[in-house]
Amino acid sequence: MHSASEPADPDRLVAGFAALAIAIHILEAAFPSPLPGVKPGLANVVTVVVLVRYGWSTAAWVAGLRVLAGSLLLGTFLSPTFVMSASGAAAALAVLGLAWALAGSHLGAVGYSVLAALAHMGTQVAVARALFIPHDAILKLLPFLLTAAWVFGIVSGVIAASVLDILARRADRGEATP
Amino acid sequence: MKPGDVAVVALAAAVVAASWVIFWGPAAAGERAHIVVTGGESLDLSLAGDRDLEVEGLIGTSVIRIRDGRVRFVDSPCVARYCVHAGWLESAGDVAACLPNGVVVEVTGRRESYDALSF
Repeated sequence: MHSASEPADPDRLVAGFAALAIAIHILEAAFPSPLPGVKPGLANVVTVVVLVRYGWSTAAWVAGLRVLAGSLLLGTFLSPTFVMSASGAAAALAVLGLAWALAGSHLGAVGYSVLAALAHMGTQVAVARALFIPHDAILKLLPFLLTAAWVFGIVSGVIAASVLDILARRADRGEATP
Repeated sequence: MKPGDVAVVALAAAVVAASWVIFWGPAAAGERAHIVVTGGESLDLSLAGDRDLEVEGLIGTSVIRIRDGRVRFVDSPCVARYCVHAGWLESAGDVAACLPNGVVVEVTGRRESYDALSF
């Protein structure tokens, strides 16, 4: 990475954070899940950190690249998994953009993280209902999945908040930060 | 956490709670039995009148009983008899099926509640 004194090249910033998010995305894909569709979504941490530090458009680049490159690496590009992943990420970014415009710095990492998690999950179930499992029975899963999204949204929000805290303290001490 | 965060987390909790009430709330009482037979006509019967019904399916005769606003398979020519073990169906959206015989019984009501699938 580069030192704090030299201005951050936005492209390099996006690439660095996207690489981090992709690594988390793929690591997470290897973990078994107790309920189909439930995973911690820790890549969300990266999106929220970038959003709070650098704004929405940088976060959108990072999340978009993660979904695209993550699907290419996992071999799910243009599969149903990819459609779900992309639509969830798009909805999360749309909600984050709206919240960013309305609340800005009145909202912290936890708030943004929970909003993103619920938008992501809700949209995925809606897309699954519309495209892949066209039966209302799938909506019975929605409360379970939303509860999981709420919990994991708070968890990754707390992680993002502590990452942001560490980065801010490093910057205060004049150490290098991305 | 900022006050905005607390508000968002509380609001999100309310949305999650609402989803439980909407999708797992009390089911509507059933009013009619909808019976579908593969290759045959489908029947739509009121649950109000008690009756036994013999339905000719793909491999034999399924016996369906309507009692006290409920409906069930009493007998079917299949091997495992999952349809019979499904027991009484009373809420709108409840379904039992005898797949070997091609007979499906579904309870319908004024408000269609979402059914769960069990195998």
